[in-house]
Amino acid sequence: MASLGAFLLLLAFVIATYAVTASVVGARRRSTRLIESGIGAFYTVAALMTVASGVIIYAFVAGDYSIRYVQRYSDSVQPLFYKITSYWGGLDGSVMFWVFLLSLFGSVAVKINRESHRELIPYVVAVIGAVEMFFLFLMIIHNNPFATYLTESPVDGRGLNPLLQNFYMAIHPPTMYLGFVGMTIPFAFGMAALFSGHLDDSWLRAVRRWTMISWFFLSLGLILGMIWAYEELGWGGYWGWDPVENAGMLPWFTATAFLHSVMVQERRGMLRVWNVSLVIITFLLTIVGTFLTRSGVVQSVHAFGEDPELARYFVIFMISTTVFCFGWVIYRLPFLKARHELDSWASKEAAFLANNWVLLFSALFILFATLFPTLTEAINGERLTVGPPFFNRWMVPIGLILLVLTGTGPLLAWRKSTLSSMKDQFLWPIVCALVVGGALVAIGVRVWSSGICFALCAYVMGTLGQEIIRGANVRRGMTGTDVVTAMIGLVARNKRRYGGYIIHVGVVLMFLGFAGEGFSRDVQLLLKPGEEATVGKFTLHLDAIRVTDDGQKQMVTGHITVKDQSGAVIDQMRPAKWFFRKHEEEPTTEVAIRRSIAEDLYIVMPAFEIEEQTASVEVHINPLVNWIWFGFGILAIGTGIALLPETAVSFAVAKLPVEAVTASFLIGALLLSGGIARAQHVETGQDPRLQLTSPEAREVSHKLACWCGGCSKLPVGQCSCGHCAIERTNIDGMLKAGKTEAQILDFYVATYGGNQVLSEPPNSGSGRVVWLMPIVVGTGGFLTAAFLALRWSRRRPALAGVPGAIEDPDMAARLDEELRNLD
Amino acid sequence: MKHKAVKIGLTSLVLTLTFGGLLYTTMAEGTEYYKHVDEVMVQPGEWYGKKLQLHGFVVPDSIMKRKNSLDYQFQVQSNGQIVNATYTGIVPDTFKSDSEVVLKGTLSEGGFHVQPNGVMAKCPSKYEAKPGGATPSGPY
Repeated sequence: MASLGAFLLLLAFVIATYAVTASVVGARRRSTRLIESGIGAFYTVAALMTVASGVIIYAFVAGDYSIRYVQRYSDSVQPLFYKITSYWGGLDGSVMFWVFLLSLFGSVAVKINRESHRELIPYVVAVIGAVEMFFLFLMIIHNNPFATYLTESPVDGRGLNPLLQNFYMAIHPPTMYLGFVGMTIPFAFGMAALFSGHLDDSWLRAVRRWTMISWFFLSLGLILGMIWAYEELGWGGYWGWDPVENAGMLPWFTATAFLHSVMVQERRGMLRVWNVSLVIITFLLTIVGTFLTRSGVVQSVHAFGEDPELARYFVIFMISTTVFCFGWVIYRLPFLKARHELDSWASKEAAFLANNWVLLFSALFILFATLFPTLTEAINGERLTVGPPFFNRWMVPIGLILLVLTGTGPLLAWRKSTLSSMKDQFLWPIVCALVVGGALVAIGVRVWSSGICFALCAYVMGTLGQEIIRGANVRRGMTGTDVVTAMIGLVARNKRRYGGYIIHVGVVLMFLGFAGEGFSRDVQLLLKPGEEATVGKFTLHLDAIRVTDDGQKQMVTGHITVKDQSGAVIDQMRPAKWFFRKHEEEPTTEVAIRRSIAEDLYIVMPAFEIEEQTASVEVHINPLVNWIWFGFGILAIGTGIALLPETAVSFAVAKLPVEAVTASFLIGALLLSGGIARAQHVETGQDPRLQLTSPEAREVSHKLACWCGGCSKLPVGQCSCGHCAIERTNIDGMLKAGKTEAQILDFYVATYGGNQVLSEPPNSGSGRVVWLMPIVVGTGGFLTAAFLALRWSRRRPALAGVPGAIEDPDMAARLDEELRNLD
Repeated sequence: MKHKAVKIGLTSLVLTLTFGGLLYTTMAEGTEYYKHVDEVMVQPGEWYGKKLQLHGFVVPDSIMKRKNSLDYQFQVQSNGQIVNATYTGIVPDTFKSDSEVVLKGTLSEGGFHVQPNGVMAKCPSKYEAKPGGATPSGPY
């Protein structure tokens, strides 16, 4: 198994080398056969990496502990899901996962653009192939994930740290990698444009979507890391300016800058050197990020460990790539001249330029501050560090400047904004900011950074609201529809622009959440059962400290009743400390969070004394923190809209009958509101009466529905009535007597004369019909909707007096022109 | 052309000076020395009162916790040099005997005083669970 894996990596390296050579030679000699063979070899690398990934996952699942990597990061009792995610758990596997993703991404990018960008493709293959070669080389020479034990292999693995056996931690690294790896594709196209001399805007069109997808994954990866830190680590915050966190942030800034500056090149033919430099810098920063995490060059609480040899390879790669890439930029400078000059500082392009400077400055500043200890040590042998207060002092004002630019950019026109148009555009947004700012001062808010942030959020929302309302009014005038339909039509017609605005709304909401931190409070308490303490508007009453065991772990739980100012009980919270079997020395702190739109009540119980019956409780009140996660959801929707194909939605919307959009929008909103209510995280401390002695008993009791008549048919495992308490004891008794789950369920069905005692239909006979029903109904509904959409698309609107949808291309062009003029 | 070059030059100069000045002033307050225990304990007197980030390993079985409080006393060592540390607050789950830690705080004759939230233990992305002692070794 191990030798097969190692052989596959070696073969992938050889074939990647061939792909690079064949593509470059083929492009120079204009030999189609060589180019095609290079592409074929490139796809083969992806296939080989897929097989190699299959091999290592198989080794994890089958428990092949002769492979060192498998032995170090898994063990036989680990759940299957975490066995698979252990693939990218350690250093060696993460490098391999990196190459695997890159080979897949690269193949898809080449496949999609093969015909439309023929002149670039051989060089794209060469660049991605060369990056793959570097990482494959690292694996073969230094970090082989298939390395085996030279002597006798252990019988079991060391197992994964319990803190990492967490859903967010399992998916956070791959999303980060998707973002990091994805940034190689724009870099490859940028470099291909430099090599081939095809420096018009066609390479930008090829990479815009890739950059946006990678940017989205990077954002998602960062957010998941924040959620994990917030919910699992128990220190009450979500971002600590740790070098590894910073490493993920660096390419995010430059990618964001690129997504904005690309528009300036498309519209005005400016910033061409800047754009190609930005994709190079972004790529280099992804490599810097990987280097920082894996080389041990900076001291981080969560780096992989020191590895000077690996650091040396990375430094050589980074220096040579930087010199080579910027050498090409300088060589091609004559081809990269801007078509226009900046006409005025009161223009959209100037706002974009300012935004780019600030974003690039942010990336460089964070890089500088992260590397500061290493730099000072290299200069005078004294390692000096800078902490979160230093980062905050700089990044808070920078964030506020970016927020100002977010609100200002959309209000300015391309080329030059006249004074009168600026008055017209800026009036309402500034009024919004002043009203909010004034109100905050009036109610006595004195945290200046948060106060300014709230006012600026109002300014940006004013801008975005004004843009959307004005656009919708123009469209309404043109099409005669109602305002909501016009608004949706507007978004559908110009998805990139309005998708971008929706992303900005998400960003504003996230800033609200960040600003909330200015009002956060934390208190440490030492409580005995029966004692209570007041924190903010909450009174916490410690009812008991209980010790329970579920077979897998021992749990020490603080039972806390939360009361509001009037003394009414509003919640029961259960902070806990868990001691997993085999990992008793590494307890995990289980946070209890009471979420609300306004603030989170966040309780941890870091220490306790069972004999003394005291609990040390740390209470954090985090205002507005949920707006960060909610804002990210909006950002994700905006990204989705901006990424939609140009024709899809506008076709559907244009063909729908008038008002249909509003109706469906309202129905959607109604459905969604129900969905949100159900999806809210509910922190339920389990009633002690519900506790069962074994997980099996819990599982069986959840499959039965309470039949006492007085309850609402809750599962027996959840219902707190006396009847169910008896039945749970019976189930436990039957299990102990050796009965299987099926036998117990059959017993209840037979005793009570039917399936009504089951909480879900059996997956057999008539029960299957119930299971299939939602699938049949769902598919049927989808087909009906598709059929109706097709019918509508063929039928011409025949309503008298109402202008039809825009079918006339001239009319559509005119509308687009007018919308553009709104800028 | 010359006029433009002067404008760009002046703007760059002003920006560089502003940022340099700001960076210098904020850095003077924000920086801390990053030292290993053995580096500091050679001549501890030199480091009294300075802001430090101290790197070392928790001496096995040295963690003591005062009953009914969050007061900790423990020892940290590197290359044979040991320092006593005191801390009040919550320790991370990964803080235990033999764990690699970075402590923020100041040194004095009485030992190293860790500032609030100043205990950082290596995070699990290292994925290397070392066998070691458990929770507090005893009360004090």
